[in-house]
Amino acid sequence: MSKTAIETVNLVKQYPAVLRNVRNRHPWMAWQVGGLREIFSRKKNFIRALNGVNLKIYRGEVFGLLGPNGAGKTTLIKILCTLVLPDSGEAYVNGYNVIRESSRVLRNLQAVLGDPRGFDWRLSAKQNLEFYATLYGLPRDYAKKRVEELLDLMGLSDRANDMYQRFSTGMARKLQLCRALLLDTPIILFDEPTAGLDPASAVDFRRLLKDKLAKSEGRTIFIATHNMWEAQTICDRVAVINRGEIIACGSPENLKMYISPEKNYVLTIDGYCDALKMKEFMNEASGLCGVKDLRLQADNASVRISIRVDKDFVFSEILDIMVKYGLKIKDVESYEPSLEEVFIALIRGGKQPI
Amino acid sequence: MINFSNLSVAVRQVTAFAKRDFRDWRTYKTQMITQVITIAIGILSWAINAVYRNRPVPEYDTDYISFLVVGLVIGNLVMPISQGLERRLNPWTLENIIMTGISIPVFVAGQMAWPYIFSLITFIPQLLIGIFWFGVKLSINPLSTALAFIISAMILLGLSMISVGFRLVTKSTDPITWTINTLQQLLAGISFPVQFLDSFLPGVSSLSWFLPQTWVYHLWRLSMLKAAAITDPITQIEFLKGFIFALILFPIGYRTFKWGLNRAKKDGTLGWF
Repeated sequence: MSKTAIETVNLVKQYPAVLRNVRNRHPWMAWQVGGLREIFSRKKNFIRALNGVNLKIYRGEVFGLLGPNGAGKTTLIKILCTLVLPDSGEAYVNGYNVIRESSRVLRNLQAVLGDPRGFDWRLSAKQNLEFYATLYGLPRDYAKKRVEELLDLMGLSDRANDMYQRFSTGMARKLQLCRALLLDTPIILFDEPTAGLDPASAVDFRRLLKDKLAKSEGRTIFIATHNMWEAQTICDRVAVINRGEIIACGSPENLKMYISPEKNYVLTIDGYCDALKMKEFMNEASGLCGVKDLRLQADNASVRISIRVDKDFVFSEILDIMVKYGLKIKDVESYEPSLEEVFIALIRGGKQPI
Repeated sequence: MINFSNLSVAVRQVTAFAKRDFRDWRTYKTQMITQVITIAIGILSWAINAVYRNRPVPEYDTDYISFLVVGLVIGNLVMPISQGLERRLNPWTLENIIMTGISIPVFVAGQMAWPYIFSLITFIPQLLIGIFWFGVKLSINPLSTALAFIISAMILLGLSMISVGFRLVTKSTDPITWTINTLQQLLAGISFPVQFLDSFLPGVSSLSWFLPQTWVYHLWRLSMLKAAAITDPITQIEFLKGFIFALILFPIGYRTFKWGLNRAKKDGTLGWF
């Protein structure tokens, strides 16, 4: 069995823009038959939402798709959900083609699309889920059991009989996840999973995705988000999409290397150290292979050494020299760019080697 | 004491609402035109109806009140089939429903199930009111009535799927279904026999028989007012004609619905109004 859960090959999608030029030239004609003209006209302007997207998402991983608004994240998710048809290219879900084998795709993948209006407002949470369980074709007894299990899992059992319109954003999101889990598919997609959630609910939701769905149950999780911290916290790998193109892909750690291939440390040394020993330490340490820069800053209270090294540098080599000269370390700080900084650098700087 | 400064603010606010709704309304160009034409056709149809009032209806061997009441009751029974799908199409739940992998025929039938059950529940009381209050005289053939129901359901399902197929793309009134439904008001013989139209414009009644809804009303009235037996060759021919309409419309409706769904998926507008 292939290790790939989702694969896209040169996926292209463009949307028709408004027919402004035709209307401006023949406003009365367009006004009269505007509806039919727009349906059948081939003279359209297009907005390119996806421009040759190639992605491979492996089974059991938590994959994040990062991008600014309008970058193509939702379009990609909807193509995978069979709700939008691509113009060219291929997309596969567990080996099934999203166009030709859409019903098999939907047996392998479900999604939490984020729009809270996707339930019947005047039905209870339980009634809504039972309705969808029936549409998924679950046997009656199993469906009832599954609905109860999922409501319990999400902590919604107490509110199971409340009308959906009484639900808060967080509860609505949990109910959407219940619906996505009804069929027990191996792949779950999330469009902005924690948008609109309060910080505590967001933490709970992330924990649920990472620990329960991904780690314990081994599902493949695909999230589209512009929350960098979220992606850094829960994703095994991330891809950055901008203007319909994947401009970087890798683990969050690897992506950080794109903008900073080096590591930075700041060591705070006990202030009562021998100046001569310190000088000898500086000389020896700066000669180490992989050390790019070494600076000493001293004040009344402490001595601080800033070190910039290659990403593969073994830091214990510095520590060994310190021990040799009897220097006592009070604190070590390492600095690396956040995923947010990486994201901004990538969006501004263009495509990176993937 | 009237505070004129508050009043002027209130007037401006009311105007702002009207302006907003006008701007919204004029963005649906097709709907704008169709609304105006619908009003005109409505006036025309009521005018013809008023002229016809209280004449006997030899086509169905009945009086006018029976003809009219049965027509209205049939309308209430079968029209929800065509309107149910369109009215209950909720773009927000549509994406989620499609993601369940449900088949199109099941989706269509499911969307219309409740409106139709409700119509069935109200059908009998409406008839009873017609009989006991207005003296409607029924002459029913059960077998023909059942056949009329099946044929009209197929015709209206087909129309309904055409309508929804277009609506998924246009997001407002679709011109084709609107044309059929508007012409129905004038030509399908809801409140006067179609032959009466010839007294205004000779030959126009022949156009009526190209409208699917004319067949719906015609077959039901034959079964409920004239007790037309299906063993009668003339009745058989009438039912056969209606059935041909159904056979043509149903697959066209299915394909149009599928086309609309694919087109909306292609345009990425499935979840839009």
